[in-house]
Amino acid sequence: MNPLLPFLMAGDPSLEALPQLLSDAKALGLKAVELGLPHSDPIADGPVLQAAAHRAIQRGATPLRVLQSLTGITDSPDVVLFTYLNPLLQLGAAELKRLLAPTPVRALLVVDLPFGEEPAFEAELRAAGYPMVPLLAPTTTLGRARQILAERPDPGEGAPFAQRFAYVVARLGVTGTGQGLDLKPISERVADLLPLSSRPLAVGFGLSDPRSLTAIRRLGATPVIGSALVQELAEGRGLREALASRLVDDL
Amino acid sequence: MTLGFTLPDRFGSQALGGCYAPETLVQPLLDLEAAFRSALLDPAYLAELKGELRHFVGRPTPLTPAPRLAAQLGLKALFLKREDLTHTGAHKINNALAQALLAKRMGKHEIIAETGAGQHGVATAAACARLGLSCTVYMGITDMARQAPNVARMRLFGAKVEPVEAGQGTLKEAVNEALRAWAARCDRAHYILGSALGPHPFPTLVRTFQTVIGEEARAQILEQAGALPEVVIACAGGGSNGLGLLVPFLGDPLQRIAVEAGGHGPDLGEHAARLDGGRMGVLHGCKTLLLQDDHGHTAETASISAGLDYPALGPELAALILDGKVEVRRASDEEALSGARRLCQAEGILPALESSHALALLPALAAEGAATILLGLSGRGDKDLSTYQSRSGL
Ligand SMILES: Cc1ncc(COP(=O)(O)O)c(C=O)c1O
Repeated sequence: MNPLLPFLMAGDPSLEALPQLLSDAKALGLKAVELGLPHSDPIADGPVLQAAAHRAIQRGATPLRVLQSLTGITDSPDVVLFTYLNPLLQLGAAELKRLLAPTPVRALLVVDLPFGEEPAFEAELRAAGYPMVPLLAPTTTLGRARQILAERPDPGEGAPFAQRFAYVVARLGVTGTGQGLDLKPISERVADLLPLSSRPLAVGFGLSDPRSLTAIRRLGATPVIGSALVQELAEGRGLREALASRLVDDL
Repeated sequence: MTLGFTLPDRFGSQALGGCYAPETLVQPLLDLEAAFRSALLDPAYLAELKGELRHFVGRPTPLTPAPRLAAQLGLKALFLKREDLTHTGAHKINNALAQALLAKRMGKHEIIAETGAGQHGVATAAACARLGLSCTVYMGITDMARQAPNVARMRLFGAKVEPVEAGQGTLKEAVNEALRAWAARCDRAHYILGSALGPHPFPTLVRTFQTVIGEEARAQILEQAGALPEVVIACAGGGSNGLGLLVPFLGDPLQRIAVEAGGHGPDLGEHAARLDGGRMGVLHGCKTLLLQDDHGHTAETASISAGLDYPALGPELAALILDGKVEVRRASDEEALSGARRLCQAEGILPALESSHALALLPALAAEGAATILLGLSGRGDKDLSTYQSRSGL
């Protein structure tokens, strides 16, 4: 099982720092990282990631420059590009595929694209090897969860984690460091969702302390650490240092 | 496979609209659509809405002839649809009240809203006070400063006004924050969106609750003038008063015009004219004409009126425009101020800055040969007094 799925904001602390961050993540044995494409209107993000996106945009981390900075990078875990739809739509599927080809991006997590809203765009990207990560929220009924998993199908056991996992949103609301997240509801939720498919689950939104991360792993899922990590990296901490205690189980 | 909505969720030949919402909000949006559909079939809901529109809002609003202004401009006749005379002073109350009743019917007693000019916030706060619902309104800090009387009004009605500091501190940022708040509380709260935008079913919901404007106006002008006008015109922010007035006239042989904010210049960031400056894009859950930069980031906008500076045009209105059923024009800040001054002096009516953008077009329409015009006066100008004072040297 993949022990942790870290989230990084492209361009924060800087685009220049990105290759080293990815290399460090690989050295830590991580199979995948989520990389946020900074957006002007991040409606699913809390204050920490909003601020990080804002800083990144101020520093010139446009979608084009982010993708160019990933070009040729191989010393990296698989990258899941976490983004809002509009910047991708403006590039168009053909240009996007061309830009993604020489990068470690293996999947797209498009926060504001439910299945069925841009079928042609989604199918073209999936065919080119960039499937959309299925998102399952606390409001998603089990019936709808089955439908989402079918519409964004598992490419199969042979495919990497980045292309197989479903993202379980741990709580209502937006991304952010959730102080004192009650783990009981998410435990029950993961227990309900695991039997729906044979694909790995990642759980995110509001996780940061080693104890919650351990609890998610014990459920058989991969915890996502986002806002807390982005904050620490922005404050000058290194990735290895920030993740060391979070990769070991806190028993 | 589609998401499972049953009402049409796309508009026009370019399939604008849709439901580009984060997964957390998809089920609440499906539930909202179902509740909306069943409410429209429920005589008790419709009767309560009708009663409240009559006795609380003050509908039907008058259709006022403006003969002195018409004569000045060389028009044969000018009629004003007086949404400024509704309780709380703008068309926004039609939608806010109907959605508040819907929320109550859904068992949701917490209301979230965004506001730009503050009119939608005031209307929602009033409706919530009237129906015993709690109300939180998100408002950009720039708008809080320029529409201060409305902030005070919302607070008097018991609403909590949450300042939004991000970005330009205007309507777009307020919608961002309201959507975030709704995602966190969607199990108990209803989000009353104030214009015909956002993810399906909001554009349809808002437009449905606003067409009372055009339905009344059409009957009134037929009765008062004995004929339809040659032109029907309204201002367009997100598009709710525009659709509300224009949609009931779609089958008629006349000119339908929506007026966008021309701001103070032609460059990106200086106006909110989405038709000329915008490209197809997705913002706040729908696909439509959007002012954006080369990277797909939403562009800054500018307008003297807080209600017209939204960077996207509501999807149904954008579709009607692209498909040639509604014409779009723009009026600059200065032209809007002149339009307001003319109405004040000729007819003794103080229009909202938003509505003044429609008034600004009258001389041009007269010059083009229009004889009879019906204009949507979407709101009153009390909230804009400080702007009128400082810009008119009063
Ligand atoms: C008086 C008035 N008119 C018009 C508008 C623009 O909104 P819409 O285009 O949805 O009617 C507003 C918005 O705040 C308003 O307050």
